[in-house]
Order: sequence, then C-alpha cells, then structure tokens
Amino acid sequence: MVQLIAKYRVTAGRLLLIVLTGYAVLNLLWQQIRLYPGIPETDPVTIHEARIAQLRPLLPPSGAVGYITTVENDRIFAAEKTFTNVEFLAQYVLTQYTLAPRIVRNSPDLPLVVGNFIDGPPAPGFLEKNGLAMLRDLGDGLILYRRDRKP
Amino acid sequence: MIIFFLASLLLSLISGILLTFIFLPSPKNDPQGRPLRIFVGGGLGIGLSACIYFVCLPAGLLGYIPLIDLAACLVLGLACYFLMKRRRREAERPAESQLHDRKVALFGAGAKLENGIATLFAVELLASLGSFLFAFLKEPHGKWDAWLIWNMHARFLYRSGEAWREVFAGGMDWSHWDYPLLLPLSIVRGWKYIGNDSIYIPAAFALLFTLLTLGLLLCALMFLRSRIQGYLAAMILLGTPLFILMGASQFADVPLAFFMLATLVLLFLPARSPENGSGAAVLAGIASGLCAWTKNEGLLFLLIVTGSLFCTTLYADGWRSARKRTVRFLAGALPILLIVIYFKTQLSPVNDLMAGFGPAAAAAKLMDFSRYAQIAKAFFITGISFTQGLIDIRVGMQLNPGAVSILLLIVYLLLAGVRIDDRDRTGLVRTAAVLLSILAGYFFVYVMTPLDLGYHLATSLNRLFLQLWPSVIFLFFMTAGAPEGAASTGSKTRKEDDFVKKSPKRSYRRKPVSRTT
Repeated sequence: MVQLIAKYRVTAGRLLLIVLTGYAVLNLLWQQIRLYPGIPETDPVTIHEARIAQLRPLLPPSGAVGYITTVENDRIFAAEKTFTNVEFLAQYVLTQYTLAPRIVRNSPDLPLVVGNFIDGPPAPGFLEKNGLAMLRDLGDGLILYRRDRKP
Repeated sequence: MIIFFLASLLLSLISGILLTFIFLPSPKNDPQGRPLRIFVGGGLGIGLSACIYFVCLPAGLLGYIPLIDLAACLVLGLACYFLMKRRRREAERPAESQLHDRKVALFGAGAKLENGIATLFAVELLASLGSFLFAFLKEPHGKWDAWLIWNMHARFLYRSGEAWREVFAGGMDWSHWDYPLLLPLSIVRGWKYIGNDSIYIPAAFALLFTLLTLGLLLCALMFLRSRIQGYLAAMILLGTPLFILMGASQFADVPLAFFMLATLVLLFLPARSPENGSGAAVLAGIASGLCAWTKNEGLLFLLIVTGSLFCTTLYADGWRSARKRTVRFLAGALPILLIVIYFKTQLSPVNDLMAGFGPAAAAAKLMDFSRYAQIAKAFFITGISFTQGLIDIRVGMQLNPGAVSILLLIVYLLLAGVRIDDRDRTGLVRTAAVLLSILAGYFFVYVMTPLDLGYHLATSLNRLFLQLWPSVIFLFFMTAGAPEGAASTGSKTRKEDDFVKKSPKRSYRRKPVSRTT
C-alpha cells in the first residue's frame, strides 16, 4: 500500500514537472514568435554600427579619439547608474564597439573627436568652449571634429 | 568559411574528448558514459583551446594556431592510443561485455515510459532551439554585456594584432578589462580560423555552451542515476526562460555554469568507479580552473571547491585520501591558474569591486545591517523569480515564481521522496556545501561592494543565480527518488549486478541504497 502511494506520488511529481516545463518552454516560444513581426528588419546595434562605420576611413587605424554627445560627458555614465537614461551610454559603447581597435575616450580633449548627436545637438556654446571645429558632417547626427585649440 | 570554423571547433572538441579517455579509462564502451565524455570533453576542449591561444599571444605564434591545435590534438590522440593499448593488455575482461549488458538493460520494463519522456524532451528541445533562434534574430550581436564586454574584448584582441597588450592599459575601465578571457579568446580563435570577425561566431559559441550545459546535465544524471532522471532534469533547464535567453545573449554566465557543473559532476565519478578516481579529480581541477578563466566568480568557485573537496574527503576517507585527491585536483587546475595569475598580475587592470577597497570602508559596510536586510530580500525574491527571464532593471526583480523555479524542484522532491545512493553521500554533501558557500560568498561580495547596492543587485544577481542553477538541478535530481531503480530500471540494476559478477576486477559494486522520505 505504501509502495502504491509512493508510486502515485512519483507519477504525480513527474506529470507536474512535464506539464509545467512544457508550458514554460512553449510559452517562451510563443512570446518570441509573437514579438517577431514587431522586430525591425535590422537590429539597433547593426543600424548603429553601419552609421558609425562611416568614420573608419577618416580615422587613424589605431590610437585614441574623443567623444561628445547631446549631454555633457560626465552625465553619460551617471545617467545609466541611476537608470534614468541608458541610451547615451549605449550609443557611446556602440561607437567604441564599432571603431575598435581605436580607443574612443569619453572626453572632448583629443585632437580628433567623434560627435554622436542622434538625440539632438549639444548645449549651446559646448563646441566653442572645447575648441572643436567641424571636420566632416556624415549626416544623421554623426560629425567628426578637430580640436583647434585648448579652451 | 563555415568549414574552417567547424575545423577549429572539431579540433577543440576532439582534444577535450581525448583528454577524457586519458583521464577516465573506464567505462570505455558504456552507452551512457560515451555522451558524458562528449559533453564534458567538448567543453573542456573549448576552454583549453582558449588557454593555448592565450599562451600563443605573447609568444607571437598566432600565425601557427591551426598547426598548434592540430599538433595538440595529435599528441593527445597518440597518448590516448598508447594508454588504451596498455590498459587493454592489462585488462582481462572483454570490453564488449558491459556494452551488451547495458544494451539489454535499455530495453527493460521502463523502456516505454523512457521513450515517452524522451519524446517530450525532444519536443521541448526543438521548441527551445526555436526560442534561441528568435532571440538571436532579434539581437544578433547579443545583449548589453555582450557588446559592452565579451564581444568587445574579442574585437579588440582580434583587430589589435601585435598591439593586443595595449588594450588592457587603454583606460576603458567601464568595459571590465580585468574579466578573464576564455570566452573572448574562443571567439577570437574562431575568427582567426575563418579570417574575419563575423557576428555568427559569438552566437555559435553561445549556442554551443547552452547545448553543452544541457547535454552535460542530461548525460551526467543518465549515467549517475537513470535516463528518466536525466530527461526530467534537462526539461527543468529547458523550462527556464532565463537560461535560453541568457544563452542567446552571448554572455559568459552560461559557459561558467557549464564549467561549474562539469567540476561538480566529475567529482562524483571517483565514488562510482575508483579506477577513474585520480583522473576524474584532475579533470575536475581543469574544469574548475576554466571557471576561473571564464569569469571572476570562478576564482571564488575554485577556492570553495578546493576547500570542500579537502574537508569532505578528510571526513569520509581520512587524511591520506584527502591530501591525494586535493593534490590531483589542484594539479589539474594549476596550469590554468598560472595563466589566470599571469593575466591578473601582468595585464589586467584592477577590478572595479577592489578599487578603493580599504579596511575602514569595509568595516563600515560590514556593520551596516540595513545592507544585509536589503541583500537578503533581493536573494529571496530573485531566488524564487530569476528563472522567469530577463528583467527590466529600472523596475527591478518582482516576485514571480512562474512555472519553473526552485519551488517546482522542492515540490518534485516532496512528491518523489529522497533516495540517495550510499556512494554519492560524500559527493552530495560536497556539492551542497559548495553551492551554499558560493551563495554566502556572493552575499558578502554584495555587502562589501563599492557600487550602489541596489544597482549592483539589479544588474547581476539573477545572472549569479543562473550560473548555479544547472548545478542546483543536478543536486536535486541526485537526491530525488528514482523509483525506476526499483521498477523500470529494476532490470538495469540487476544487469549491473550481473556485470559486477562477470568482471571482478571492476568496482561497479552496488552498495545498498537507503531511502528516506
């Protein structure tokens, strides 16, 4: 009798496990299928990479370049840490990801500076304050600057 | 292109599998043992190939990598051939006897049930592969950490050429250049073989490690317990959305989970076949060394496994045995540990958790009990909910057990009861001690973290739990009742006993099985 009850308990355990894992697996698949038509044809990283890749022929094959964006440089990481905006950090990291092995410094204090203004232009006077002169406008908010003088 | 990548992969996999033949002399023809070799060996082979690549970097031998890989494979093949030849001469029993016995056992009374569960497992596997594919199509470069850390490091190392050292001093602390290089170098090696940095190579490694972890869990439990236990455990892992999504995300957490599981599985083998004892300890050492070469958490794992192995063996088998086994384990881990030490001391910048770490700050954090409460709460909520997939870090982890979580394992254990093979007792205690110690270690890392505690917990705790999840499932199923041992695999048990009688030299002697519920 005890063995019979144990056998039913084990069968119940297996059934529970099979049903719940089956549900979890199929539910995940269904979620992925349902989301699929809404996914853009090209993923954001690939789009960003194609955009930034235009800079490659204009930059030296190695060494460091500067980086500026819509917000001040020190706000790029601060905004991510407080989860208020992860976009600026993502744009910076993807610029580095695309331009490797060149090092993209989060600073305007380098002879060549990448301007990534996908979310709008920098604050008025920012470029002048840092002595940045446009070298090439590649469109879509991507501009390469040359640092003419120390501010 | 794909042929060259497959060649690189095959060389790694074959080298690893040959290594298992060298260190695990038996069972040679066991149908359950062969897949276990493939999954353990395959993963170790990939990890060791990344080690070879790293050694070739400063030596300037990158141009000869395919030749070096081929030479390593041939040397291992020759060593394996001569060792097996010698062992065959020494062995008196016909090698086929065990194969025959096992084959008969497979068609025993429980075959129908096994086939049914195997079919369900196959359906779940196909559905999960579909989910993985959709996740890859959505984000072919992987998720945030993939292009911020792992694939970024791979790109730098591949594209920098001879100037590869400079990237470590490049001041890009935000990309965590102190993280070990197993995954980036595996990717770089693949790129080197095909001649370009295709995005398919990181994705291929992501899929490979996901399948290796699943396969290892399945085959380890099939080998150590029963086929049904193996399928059920693998179904739990497949039913963990975070495992599939994190696998497709191209992070290093799934590879680390694989090497952790491999270490713990290999440490179970000596109790099952003493003739494999020393080799299994060496292989476990290699696997744990590869943990340290995959992620920084692996160093903590290596330390804890070494301590647990020594203490549990000392308690169970005495000082001599504990010393011997620990030395063998460390002998396996040492070559990889030397690589990690060289990397940490000569190349990598200071870890962000260690930077600015002073005794005064540490004492203040240790005495701040509100941190303990915050971490304990996060451990509880995440522990129950982490399996349910990726979280929005702005919202944080919400309590959501979902269909598959630790609660399902507990309910299953309550229903199936506990059934522990006496030979596995020490291994079970060791595995439980390792997992609990790691959790305690993670807890104190959070207590001491210089980062914002809420931020640190929200961005990492679910991944830390995922690293341990396959090992936790393994532990549960090594403990759970397997009534097919009495019913469906009753024939299997009998056949194994027959085999022991036929082959007195082998130590597959079954000890009495105790059962408590």
